[in-house]
Amino acid sequence: VSLYLDPQIRDWVLFPITVVMILVGVLRHYVVLLLQSPPKKQPRNAVREQRALVRSQILRATSAHSPLPPSYYKAVSQYLSQAFADGTYLKDGPPKADAPASAPPNPLTDPNAMEGMMAGMKTQMVMMVPQMVIMGWINFFFQGFVLIKLPFPLTLGFKSMLQRGVETPDMDVRWVSSLSWYFLNFFGLNGLYRLILGGENSADSSRDMTSPFAAAAAAAPQPGQAQDYNKLFKAERDNLEFSEGLHTWIAHDVESRILRKYAGVPPNADDETGDGMVVKGTPARRDVSALFSQT
Amino acid sequence: MAATAPSAEAAAQLLFPPNVQYNASRLYTIKFLSSCFAGAVAGVLGLENTLGFALFILSTLFTSGCVFIKCKSRPAKYVPGGWWELVNPGTENIFSFVLVWTLFYDLE
Repeated sequence: VSLYLDPQIRDWVLFPITVVMILVGVLRHYVVLLLQSPPKKQPRNAVREQRALVRSQILRATSAHSPLPPSYYKAVSQYLSQAFADGTYLKDGPPKADAPASAPPNPLTDPNAMEGMMAGMKTQMVMMVPQMVIMGWINFFFQGFVLIKLPFPLTLGFKSMLQRGVETPDMDVRWVSSLSWYFLNFFGLNGLYRLILGGENSADSSRDMTSPFAAAAAAAPQPGQAQDYNKLFKAERDNLEFSEGLHTWIAHDVESRILRKYAGVPPNADDETGDGMVVKGTPARRDVSALFSQT
Repeated sequence: MAATAPSAEAAAQLLFPPNVQYNASRLYTIKFLSSCFAGAVAGVLGLENTLGFALFILSTLFTSGCVFIKCKSRPAKYVPGGWWELVNPGTENIFSFVLVWTLFYDLE
């Protein structure tokens, strides 16, 4: 039992829908790109305070296996700690003793935060509008006939969605209308977009699925005002202290380790993990660094 | 000299991000193109439901075998996540497979 379809259906419906969807996807990507306003240029002081925070975070990130020797690490860490305490990096200078703690500005009235939210919403609108338009176009022009046969079976529940416009209760669910071809394309073209537009393209429909609030929330945390940075700096000081205690130089005791590995010196009895490193502070009984000491 | 059994963050610290990204995008391209070709093959051969998906699984395994050989049998060196990352086709590629399969199935 097989329906024979006019090949003109294939030429004039199958390919045009696919081509249109690809082109609209590319168009969406470029429209989003053009709509994005460049980030507002911030004064040097504001950038400086953000960068100071980032600098200390970078320092802390590798402290457990740090490439910096202890003297360098401690010097930078303590300098930053002191600077955060004094507020030398703050945008408006060190806080005055009698300055009242001002609340962070209300997101609805602060112009900076508004711009962020508007950008997010604009992107969402650009994503959704073409989808609606194409669906309407397909429903208007390509309705009332069967387009393709799916190679795999589906349950009867899909019949109402995929065979819209063709009112036959007995026809196999595998014969579907053009709307289902639209859905197939919708999901299947993401990989193609990624190929032609690169990884971060805006035509990817799998990103539309995430809640629009997620995008707005991502845009919402704006660089805080001066008071917020003061608190951030204080918190960062605690983190710096913690990381300083955690600091281990990966070249710690490297002379002994090299000798043990290459010069046949017997392994250290205090080395528990067998990696050649003794945790600092543990007295090494057969420590070969005595070879280097003068006395 | 790094420890012989590096912790997870030490191992992550030793990775070079641009290389990781390059490898990941190349791998994604390979998977996408192979799923498209598998779809075309399934459609041209006129394979029905189970046979078609069996072809998809077969082509995934074959592709990951080829990439494995290219990785000189050490996938952990090239792709973070080891061999599962190589084999896993990803949801987007399944949809692409079905799309191309349906397309070629109907072109006879």
